[in-house]
Amino acid sequence: MEESIMDLINSFGFSSPEAFIALLVMVLAVVGAIVVVITIRPLLEYYPYTYPNARIRAKIGKILSDKQISELAETESLEEVKNYLRGHRDYAKYIDKYPIEQALDANLAESYDTLAKIAPKTLKPTLDIMLDQWDIKNIKSVLIAKEAKLNEEETRELLVPYGVLKDDQDKMIEADSVQELIVALEGTPYAKVLEDALPDYNENKTLLTLESALDNYYYERLLVKSSSQEDENTRMLHSYVGTKIDIATLKIILRAKADGLAYDQIKPYVINRGYKLRDWKVKELMESEDINSLLSSIESSDYGAIIADHIPEYNNTKSIAVFDEALDAYERKMANNIFKKKPFGVGPIVGFINKKETEIKNLKIIARSKRGPVVPSSEIKEMLL
Amino acid sequence: MAAELALGSALAAIGAGVAVGFAALGSGIGQGIASSAGVGAVAEDSGMFAQGLVFTAIPETQAIYGFLIAILLLVFSGIMGGSPLGVTSGLVAIGAGAAVGFGGLGSGMGQGIASSASVGAVVEDPDMFAQGLVFTAIPETQAIYGFLIAILLLVFGGILGA
Repeated sequence: MEESIMDLINSFGFSSPEAFIALLVMVLAVVGAIVVVITIRPLLEYYPYTYPNARIRAKIGKILSDKQISELAETESLEEVKNYLRGHRDYAKYIDKYPIEQALDANLAESYDTLAKIAPKTLKPTLDIMLDQWDIKNIKSVLIAKEAKLNEEETRELLVPYGVLKDDQDKMIEADSVQELIVALEGTPYAKVLEDALPDYNENKTLLTLESALDNYYYERLLVKSSSQEDENTRMLHSYVGTKIDIATLKIILRAKADGLAYDQIKPYVINRGYKLRDWKVKELMESEDINSLLSSIESSDYGAIIADHIPEYNNTKSIAVFDEALDAYERKMANNIFKKKPFGVGPIVGFINKKETEIKNLKIIARSKRGPVVPSSEIKEMLL
Repeated sequence: MAAELALGSALAAIGAGVAVGFAALGSGIGQGIASSAGVGAVAEDSGMFAQGLVFTAIPETQAIYGFLIAILLLVFSGIMGGSPLGVTSGLVAIGAGAAVGFGGLGSGMGQGIASSASVGAVVEDPDMFAQGLVFTAIPETQAIYGFLIAILLLVFGGILGA
């Protein structure tokens, strides 16, 4: 046998067995390299997500279950709700420090903050922009507080202790007018946003003008920053973020159309840029006569199908909440699909954002219901998402 | 020293290198993936340390199989003393090394992915530990096939007990 192999080696023209071994080593090395490259390549996309996804899934595990939310809805008072939340480490540190809604926002802001810190670098630009929403929320709160003539202490209670401008909150609170607030925000992009919207505000004296300008600035940047097409994960995050923006736009237009408002009345308050809803489509929707004509404009899209499905219910109840709930459900379904489709990628991140936001919305609904006159738990449960 | 080796023994040395090299590569990558998920889980929940460690340790086995086959090849091929191998047995040794090496490469990486997913599932829901362990163990089979075939090649290829 050995001789026949040696004969075979010689018949290939090798002068010595060592030359054959050298060739064999080279062939093995090449085959090995090809195998390694082919098998490792898919892992490169997955690898940056292993650490953040484990942390995020731990956070998902801490989100209150439907049963726990239901128990909270059945509590007798707001104090009971607070006591329940004191039993959860993530909430406990805020509950006694801030009013309930601010404590919930602080918890949500902290979650976003952690996400932005641990996320893979391809997703960071989008998640960093999402942190700006706390600055915008705080600026809006200061504007509202000034209009309602709240004192500094009362204003402070409205602010979320997160965001890039966290250290500038004192300056913002001390401002006595919009003009002074703009000065306090000097050096930040929000000063220019508010300054540009100031003429309109001076004309109609409604804070909504300034709030819309801030929202438009935020959503536009979010859409641009998330539009990186680097890989499927960034594309999916972009589609989720874009859908959120589209849904926010649609909700505003649907409400306006239900109230019979015309294009000129809506335009200042609508987000100019959309994801599936392009600029021209948003304009067309704003120009529609009523909800039925709005439906015909977006009939062919996913949103059109959702609205069409709920038109009969809307006609019965005349409540725009029907569409709001359906659109929110669509957003939740989309987040769930991404979670399932990309469990080793962006899925847990999108899933967590959606689940956490839903949890906070539900807790706010419960907290508000417990604050005033007694609301039956069955009614609270109906309001929950 | 290398020049004094018989051709068969030199081929067995390649087999040993392939066995431990590729198996350890797969195991290392898999364990890296599993351990980074474990660290993430422990960062959120320190009670996850033990479970994280278990899932991180599982993709170690492929490297152990490769290491065992490599040791057997070194001991029985005349490299570490004893009678040298013939060319035929040397070629068999390469086959044995490739079987456990490539088997371990795929198995190790697959198990690493399964381990990290299991860590994520367990940290989200601690009741998932047993199920996670079962799913994580499944990619072990490919490494076992490679290991068994390597052993059979060593036994019936005239290397073990030669």
